[in-house]
Amino acid sequence: MSAYAIEGVGLTRRFGGFAALDGVDIAVKQGEIRGLIGPNGAGKSTLIDVLSGRAPNRGGKVLLNGEDISDLTPQERRRRGMARSFQRTNIFPELTVEQQLRVASWAVAGADIDEVMDELHLTAMADVVAAEISYGDQRHLDLALALVGRPTVLLLDEPAAGLTMEESLSLARILRDLANRWHVTVLLVEHDMQVVFSICDRVTVLHLGRSLSEGTCDEIRADPTVVAAYLGTEA
Amino acid sequence: MSTIAHGAAATVRRKPLAGAALFVTTAVALAVGVALPWLVPTKIAMSLLAQAMFDALLATSVGFLILQNGRVSFGQAAFFGLGGYSVGVLIARHWVAPEVAVLIAIILPTLVAFLLGLVIARITGVAHAMLTLAVGQAFYEVVFRWRELAKGDDGMSFNLPRHLFGLSASGLQDPAVMMVLAWTILVLVLFALALFARSRIGQIAAAIRDNEERARFLGYSTMLPRALVYAIAAFIAAIAGVLSACYNGYIAPQMFHWSVSGFALIMAIIGGAKFIIGPAIGAVVLFYIKDYAGQFAEYWPAIVGIILVVVTLTMPRGVVGLAATLWKMRGR
Repeated sequence: MSAYAIEGVGLTRRFGGFAALDGVDIAVKQGEIRGLIGPNGAGKSTLIDVLSGRAPNRGGKVLLNGEDISDLTPQERRRRGMARSFQRTNIFPELTVEQQLRVASWAVAGADIDEVMDELHLTAMADVVAAEISYGDQRHLDLALALVGRPTVLLLDEPAAGLTMEESLSLARILRDLANRWHVTVLLVEHDMQVVFSICDRVTVLHLGRSLSEGTCDEIRADPTVVAAYLGTEA
Repeated sequence: MSTIAHGAAATVRRKPLAGAALFVTTAVALAVGVALPWLVPTKIAMSLLAQAMFDALLATSVGFLILQNGRVSFGQAAFFGLGGYSVGVLIARHWVAPEVAVLIAIILPTLVAFLLGLVIARITGVAHAMLTLAVGQAFYEVVFRWRELAKGDDGMSFNLPRHLFGLSASGLQDPAVMMVLAWTILVLVLFALALFARSRIGQIAAAIRDNEERARFLGYSTMLPRALVYAIAAFIAAIAGVLSACYNGYIAPQMFHWSVSGFALIMAIIGGAKFIIGPAIGAVVLFYIKDYAGQFAEYWPAIVGIILVVVTLTMPRGVVGLAATLWKMRGR
């Protein structure tokens, strides 16, 4: 097995003359939680989209556990163990919590939805229509949908967006705990630096579609180019 | 964190009719069907109820598309007409055995809808509605102009064979027999749709309706379930078309007309398209309103229009939705 769970090599994505991704390389080790940070427009969500197959990759390749999956559809990537969440809450509003987790489980062999509902504190609302639960619980449900079947790689696009600080840190703790116990490799786009620095093993900084820096949380906090481009002096 | 929004009202749990209750309800409805000849007083009333059942089947077809695919069709009459024309033409020309004609008349529209569904499944909103309208009107234009097929705009009468599936076919033109037959088929169709909604493929289709992109990223191909729903909806519309053609012994291009699709859609909305039984209830209600209003007013479609406006504004989930809300509020 490859040392890296997910790799992007020379990833490029252009919108007209604008390069949202300009030859980005990223490699996340098995079991690692990697933070992906950068200012708006840096290319973070685009990178997640290209890795997950939502957006076409115009150059470069994507490797999942060493296998080139560049030409695979999102469905095929999911079956190979890659799951993702979206920037905005992306659930099935008219299905109950249990119904939609069950639907998610049918797509993955041997998935257990009870453990996911339990870990994400959704059991009490299993029969409730998703549109009726609180925003915080919808974010948990969003994450639960991605975690059904214990994917090997989880791409998360701002999972804590819109949550209070307390809710964000609670979600981060759950994520850290599950990643450790279930051996899930996580690539996490997040603007909340408290969340990022509390759970990530390493951090990649994107700026204007390029990789600006990569390192441990301490190294990133101390990197003057990152401080100047994104973090500012308060980080 | 584990809170449910909007307080107590939001804790409403949506559970499907429990299995036993579904079977009991279906059995009771079938028993009512058998008793109908004794409950309905006159031949005219029986005939009206039989025709209301045809409308109910077509409206159920339109409502099923909305319920399971989230798609509005203005062209479902295409499959109603295709069913009716297939059985009428094949029987009249003796090209195949009458039993085979009936099977072709149901299978052909189903297949056409499945293939069409593969093409239009990704198209949403107004574009989808316009495309279905165009398909329906294309069929209408073909049968309207193709005189050699079934006498064009004049329509064509045809005689039923003496026997169909070993039974006397003349019963199909007897109001009492057709009323019971159409009622029974409608009940069985509603039962089957309820089973579909709770089946694995039904829930996957509902998830795709809710959020197609998320369904794809969960690992599902979204095209096939959508096409399957189109096919099932066409299957139901085709049955309605076959029954209508056999009962009347007559087929005409009006079976394909967009106004037939439009009325079926109105019926589904009035009854409640978010409920499996809603469109059928809406069809029966509207059929009798239409029939009653037609006796007094030349411009009865205007009355139907006013009813639609009132229902849309005051009962966004239709008659059945209102009944469901009142049922939940009981005893509060």
